Amino acid sequence: MKNIFRIARWEFVTRFRSRSFLFNTFISPLLFISVITLPIFFFQYQPEVSTKLIGVIDLSGKNIEKDLQKALNHYYSPENRSREYVVMKVSVNSSGPYREMLSEYKEIKSRRDSIARLYEQIKAQRAAYYKNTKIANREYFLRTSYEKLQNTREEKELTDMELENFKTSLDSVYKFEALKMADSLLITNVLNAYLLFPHEFTKNGIVEYHSKNPGDLRETERFEKILQNIIIEKRMMDDHVEQAKVHKWLSPIYIKKYQLMPQGQKEWDFYAQFYGPLIGVFLLFMAIFTAGGYLFSSILLEKSNRVIEVLLSYANSIQIMGGKILGLGSLGLVQVLIWLLLTALFISSGIIPADKISYLTLSNALYFIIYFSLGFLFYGAIFISVGSLSSNEYDAQQINQLLRTVAVFPVLLSLIVLAEPNSLWIRILSYIPFLTPSFMIMRIPLSSQLITTDIYVTIAIMVISILFVIFVAGRIFRVATLMQGKKASWTEIWRWLKVG
Amino acid sequence: MAQNILQLKKVSKSFAGTVVVGDLNLKVKGGEVFGLLGPNGAGKTTTMRMIMNIIRPDQGEILYNDQPRHKIKNLHFGYLPEERGLYPRATVLEMLVYFGTLNNLSARRAEVEAIRYLDRLGMVEFTDAQINQLSKGMQQKIQFIVAFLHDPDVLILDEPFSGLDPINQIVLREILQEYKQKKKILIISTHQMEQAEQLCDHICLINQSKVILDGQLSRIKKNYRENAFFVESDDSLEFMQEISGISIIEQDNNSCKFTVAEQRLKIPVLFENIQKKAGIKRFEIVEPSLHDIFIRLVQAETEGGK
Repeated sequence: MKNIFRIARWEFVTRFRSRSFLFNTFISPLLFISVITLPIFFFQYQPEVSTKLIGVIDLSGKNIEKDLQKALNHYYSPENRSREYVVMKVSVNSSGPYREMLSEYKEIKSRRDSIARLYEQIKAQRAAYYKNTKIANREYFLRTSYEKLQNTREEKELTDMELENFKTSLDSVYKFEALKMADSLLITNVLNAYLLFPHEFTKNGIVEYHSKNPGDLRETERFEKILQNIIIEKRMMDDHVEQAKVHKWLSPIYIKKYQLMPQGQKEWDFYAQFYGPLIGVFLLFMAIFTAGGYLFSSILLEKSNRVIEVLLSYANSIQIMGGKILGLGSLGLVQVLIWLLLTALFISSGIIPADKISYLTLSNALYFIIYFSLGFLFYGAIFISVGSLSSNEYDAQQINQLLRTVAVFPVLLSLIVLAEPNSLWIRILSYIPFLTPSFMIMRIPLSSQLITTDIYVTIAIMVISILFVIFVAGRIFRVATLMQGKKASWTEIWRWLKVG
Repeated sequence: MAQNILQLKKVSKSFAGTVVVGDLNLKVKGGEVFGLLGPNGAGKTTTMRMIMNIIRPDQGEILYNDQPRHKIKNLHFGYLPEERGLYPRATVLEMLVYFGTLNNLSARRAEVEAIRYLDRLGMVEFTDAQINQLSKGMQQKIQFIVAFLHDPDVLILDEPFSGLDPINQIVLREILQEYKQKKKILIISTHQMEQAEQLCDHICLINQSKVILDGQLSRIKKNYRENAFFVESDDSLEFMQEISGISIIEQDNNSCKFTVAEQRLKIPVLFENIQKKAGIKRFEIVEPSLHDIFIRLVQAETEGGK
């Protein structure tokens, strides 16, 4: 029995002093955390942003670019910084076809205006005739002026129609020319994006956003939000709502998010709440695979350099396996404790604000240790089997890689877990022993209530699976480590499992 | 003190249907060097692994002083496997202490013993060196120390001399001599017949998983004596060809190797006959070498098996 502890001590001490342990404990978590938190910083505290030029093509004639500029200045122009957005009306004045049409349009318009004026004049004259009964030839005048009025009205209506038609084609030429212009400005990177306001945009609420990368959600969301306000404001104005009321009604709304936790309400902070458990999963994964990897390489090394034969002649296979699991498991625990200690140190010294990692409670730390131990035992036993079966390091590393991929898979689903940590699918997935530790370590802090049942069920599943894999590993380890150069066939492995 | 005895009774082991060791009976007495010989694949390593309790026999039993092997603690046994292996990154002393403590030595005691042996093998200055910085021969010596650091009662050495220079071979032999004097059990497996001849008291030859020869080396040699003699003289020995009843194997001017073909021919009479004609400088019985016996037996066995 003592040999278990002697072997454990040996494994612990030789690995603890190694450079790779130092790296896995300090450097790589630091790297990972910086890699995933740096984007947050960039996102939140963007340094001096270069001003973005936004083009506007306004087909509605509502002078929308002024409103837009005002709103953008209001929302995205922090103090003592230059404006983030500058709105520019896309000009088509230099375009020949448009200019020609425009002058023609103006001509028609002035013609219509003069007809309209004439019409008004006749109307006014007739009104004067009506009122003044003393004018000679009044009857005659009234009759002839009526004919004139009729004719002028008809001419006015016809010109109106002509003007309307011409306006439509002018608009389409304007639109065509403006788009051509805006596109060339976009291509030459003069514009970051341009907005196209159709004629009836206040009614149907459709505005086009043209950009080289409309997938930039941050930008499109901003414009959506601002345009929403502008359009609603315009609609209200059209309905003759008082200016003061409009402003009152449109004052911005913020949602403050709170999460109901077992210990009470808590304000929700996306980054802290989401990245916290994500970092947790990563650290768990690191811890399991650092210690498991040592277990794996230790067996692989002893098998390939034949120390195993000496070792087996002084200690039995259970002692060797047990010792390795114990020693390297404690090493993993030490690693986890170092991390917890460092975090506590950082909190107390104020490097990490305490409220950013409020999910790190004592009980969550305890769960972390529990799921680390379970995960380590489970993967460790698999590593022992694989390590003792492998005839060369290359094969073994491939299987190691495969296991890592499986274990890190829950991280890919982290957004789904965040949205609904206790959905049926996530629950089912977390009952699969390969995935249990990673899923549970995300689910526990994200759940609003303590998921006691699932904790018990997953621990039970893990314990049963661990017993099974350790049994298998024990059988395989005893026989396979002495084999050399030759790959074991599946039938051979099956026989070892049956006979032992 | 009663004599230490290691016994293998009808021990068999097969792997995947192939019999590696079949019905093996051995009896090793303390105080004698037991040589386990045989061609490659004869089952020597498997036999030694079974004695070390690394693998269990399918049938039969292994007894040490009448106690079943699997009930005896491993610390009474020491083993030098044929394929040597050490922790490449560890330092010499810490690794020796580790293996020592695995055999129930206290850390302090293991350290003292390790340094003692390192000194004896001329390696004390490498105490804190890393294993992978040592030469092959030095690693070999470290491997030895791992085998007998804890002063085992049964010491099993698989090919102990391969890779050792002559001086270290002498040191190793001295250490083995001490074991012999302490009446401990010493089993050596080797391919080098001259080594076995010089070192072993008892020989067991295994071929194709069976014992084909087992006994005291001196007795085996006697048994395989071909009744051959060797005579050397300052004078010409050409007349030997005329002596009847002998057949000459090799002859040159001053020496002659022959066998006595006729049973009736008495050696003293023959000796006198030769002496009358030439001054005898040397007259001796030609012992067959173990090498010859080995080859002869293995060949006969292999042919017989066909």
